[in-house]
Amino acid sequence: MPAQALASHPAPVFAMRGVTKVYVMGEVEVHALRGVDLELQEGEFAVLLGPSGSGKSTLLNILGGLDRPTAGQVTYREGDLSEAGERALTRYRRRHVGFVFQFYNLIPSLTARENVALVTEIAGDPIAPEDALALVGLKYRLDHFPSQMSGGEQQRVAIARAIAKRPDVLLCDEPTGALDISTGIAVLGALEKVNSELGTTTAVITHNAAISAMADRVISLADGLITSDVRNSTKQPAVTIEW
Amino acid sequence: MRALDRKLLRDLWNVRSQVLAIALVVSSGIALLVMAQGVFGSLLTTRDAYYTRYAFADVFAGAKRVPNWVEQRIAAIPGVGKVQTRVVVAVSLDVPGVSDPINGRLISLPERGRPALNDVALRRGRFLDPDRAEEALVGERFAEAHGLDLGDRLFAVINGRRQPLEIVGVALSPEFVYGIGPGELVPDPKHFGFLWMTRRHLATAFEMEGGFNDVALTLTDRSPSLERAAIVELDAILDPYGGLGAIPRADQTSNWYLQNELSQLETMGLLVPLIFLAVATFLLNVVLRRTVAVQREQIAALKALGYSNVRLGAHYVQWAVVVVALGALIGIVAGLLLAEAMLGVYMEYFRFPLLVYKVSVSGILIAVGVSLAAATVGALGAVRSVVSLPPAEAMRPAPPENFRVSLFERLGARRWLSQPARMVLRNLSRRPVRAVLSIVGIASAGAIMVVGWAMMDSMDELLEVQFNIIQRQDLSVSFFEPVERSAVHELAALPGVMQVEPTGTVAARLRNGHRQKQTAIQALAPGARLRRVVDVDYRAIELDRPGLVLSTLLAEQLQVEPGDEVVVEVMEAARPVREVVLTDTVDDLLGVTAYMEQESLQRLVRRDETMNGAMLRIDSLAEERLYGLLKAMPAVAGVTLRSAALQSIRTYMLDNMSMMMSVNLFFALIIAFGVIYNTARISLSETSRELASLRVIGFTRAEISSILLGELGILTLAAIPLGLLLGYGMITGVMSAFESELFRLPVVVDPSTFVVSAAAVLGSMVISAWTVRRKLHDLDLVAVLKTRE
Repeated sequence: MPAQALASHPAPVFAMRGVTKVYVMGEVEVHALRGVDLELQEGEFAVLLGPSGSGKSTLLNILGGLDRPTAGQVTYREGDLSEAGERALTRYRRRHVGFVFQFYNLIPSLTARENVALVTEIAGDPIAPEDALALVGLKYRLDHFPSQMSGGEQQRVAIARAIAKRPDVLLCDEPTGALDISTGIAVLGALEKVNSELGTTTAVITHNAAISAMADRVISLADGLITSDVRNSTKQPAVTIEW
Repeated sequence: MRALDRKLLRDLWNVRSQVLAIALVVSSGIALLVMAQGVFGSLLTTRDAYYTRYAFADVFAGAKRVPNWVEQRIAAIPGVGKVQTRVVVAVSLDVPGVSDPINGRLISLPERGRPALNDVALRRGRFLDPDRAEEALVGERFAEAHGLDLGDRLFAVINGRRQPLEIVGVALSPEFVYGIGPGELVPDPKHFGFLWMTRRHLATAFEMEGGFNDVALTLTDRSPSLERAAIVELDAILDPYGGLGAIPRADQTSNWYLQNELSQLETMGLLVPLIFLAVATFLLNVVLRRTVAVQREQIAALKALGYSNVRLGAHYVQWAVVVVALGALIGIVAGLLLAEAMLGVYMEYFRFPLLVYKVSVSGILIAVGVSLAAATVGALGAVRSVVSLPPAEAMRPAPPENFRVSLFERLGARRWLSQPARMVLRNLSRRPVRAVLSIVGIASAGAIMVVGWAMMDSMDELLEVQFNIIQRQDLSVSFFEPVERSAVHELAALPGVMQVEPTGTVAARLRNGHRQKQTAIQALAPGARLRRVVDVDYRAIELDRPGLVLSTLLAEQLQVEPGDEVVVEVMEAARPVREVVLTDTVDDLLGVTAYMEQESLQRLVRRDETMNGAMLRIDSLAEERLYGLLKAMPAVAGVTLRSAALQSIRTYMLDNMSMMMSVNLFFALIIAFGVIYNTARISLSETSRELASLRVIGFTRAEISSILLGELGILTLAAIPLGLLLGYGMITGVMSAFESELFRLPVVVDPSTFVVSAAAVLGSMVISAWTVRRKLHDLDLVAVLKTRE
């Protein structure tokens, strides 16, 4: 299905043109992005690879509507994210984006089900929290609080929370960064399943090159620039990945 | 400066607004304490110095007329030190240019030398020349109120004759520190004044030659048994001469008020600051706990570098100490300034010729020490958990907080609640002690406000009841001697008089077994409309049965109930002793009184005339002319205006109470703001990461604000009813502490008091919320995703 989508809809989901981002930190200017051009297609599973400081998080934050570029243009379908105001960006995140973070960012006072319900309550056509949790293999942990779950389980709750609103795009920032390999694999498996079953465009940023094996497309960044953009001929299942 | 000390200062700077909020709560407590201590200490020291230097007496007694030789017998009473006999008379005063009736006391001074007791302090001018009959000293406040100066003249109306008096000096006396006239609640120097004259001239004018009608004495020691024995003996000696019953210093009017004020200062000056300091300690503990939790990894790192537990503990204790010290400093300065301002107000109503400004340094040091100790204990409690962790463990982030489904949800409300609402409830229920203490803290602010305003409500109610329901006359006239009924007709015939009702008082001692009470029985004509006796619901009681009606307080003192018999010893005329049935009790607000129906009182006293006063309703257009005519009537001893009494009480309330109230209210607002603001900042700090996460997944600013403010709102809304309730309880306690024979403040809280107090607490919340909400807008969404807490 991803390949089909690519063929029949040449219009990209995201398009970045000459995007730069400069952070002023005291008296030092940090050039996080130095002119990036990038398109992401519908249903694509993309891995953005790069060492720390390469600008990959900045790129993801701009795609997710958490940050605005210093210069250049970012469009999401027909909308211009680089010109959007605070309210429009909030609306954009609320309707279209699912986030998964390195440290899960669950609400400790809410159970797994309630953490997902947090999103489904404000979404238009959500998946039931129970179904979303079943999709990531957690249907027996519905009423557990974050403190009662392992890191991998917490991250899968975070994925369920991200996808329950049927987002158009799922953005994951080092989703396995805080996990050991076996739980990391389980989390990647969940992402893979979401991408294939729901067709959600997925971008995963990581410095772990092994993960790139499961992607449709691998984009490498270094020092604020895209250094390579490779399409995998065959995707490897998550369970076979090792690092 | 050591590195750790720099860290301390920078940490404090980072939370400066919270530090300031806590320091202000501390400073409010300290300021109130320093103020109360300062005013209390100064008044007490000043009073004692004044009493000693001007020989304030221990026992006071009045009589009708006592021959001079009796003084020897009084001096021979065991335990009596010095004795001072005097002539004291009540007169009408006439100050040129003033039409209002003025009452006065003329008090004799010895011809040679200073009085042995109750000496006068000369403020201006000179003492009296015994050869000049017209010379008088005048009380300071009276002189000020009328702009009287040395050499000015006024007139005492004696038996209808205007006796001119020339002012040669302005004076004060320890007897009249709080210079109120009979029946007054606050001094009204425009309508009541004290004057001193040479005894010989005063005695001549009042046919008191060779005798006296007032005696004061000191006792060789202060033991209560000696005092009681001396009073009994003095009464026995004076009885045949129309003795009116001796009173100890504690019951002397001016001294009683002064003592009452001092007691209030002492208790209020301790209780209220304690509330503030307790709240401040709680806030310190909460803020420090949070600081320590945030700095968990820093603490671990410092320990890894070799800092000891003790050194780190001390570091955080210093944190608390700096905050308290800052608060104490502000508090001491503010307290000293407030004390001076308050003393200024006091000096207006309580007059002293000297002022010994005394602030109890040890009192302040104890207060600061207690606050520091409390802060230290609070700080140690906060630090202990983290300092005791091994460094390696502390360097790992704290495990996620354990949460439970809150009780409220388990009771079935869960399915109705949105996820954000559940977050609010669970955050609160996870730290129930803190939530409860926050509620109590905010509630105490509300309670202090209720007490402040309710005092005003009570005073308003007292005035309303006393001056609109009980006393409805425009003016009351008192006569030197009981008069015949015809005098009433004479008054009624005066131009401008619309209604006259005779009244009378008879001095009497009431007795039940060994309990006795010196008082006056007030006669009321049946169907009296101008001066009434009312029940608890302020409905008029008709005095149509023979028998006695007593103020509830008086009945309690005598331990009698309606139906019991009370022994009445009349202290006038033939001094008959009779048993009279108590028919009813009434809750008087001003004074304690015994009432009898007019004719039964006449039968009791065995005299036809018991009327020695009258209540008048007059036409205000004719008042000036009427005042002149009344002053000229020989039988009239004094005229009291209702409007003047009302006015002087209102002025007093405005001057004195409103200042105290404003100070209290201001500090109550500081507490409310201090607790709510800190609560808001702490929950912001604790939940900022969650709130940022919510923002990232698409919650709007308004939505996350409502989560944070929901918590504040619940605390505040829970605190408001508690505060109102607490305030009502406190005001009930305060009022019963105020209850005395002189006045009783009704426990009345106007609904507007509750509304205003609740609104003030709510206002503090809105301001805190608004301040914190701005910080919420600046949440760094990106940073929060990159870090663990």
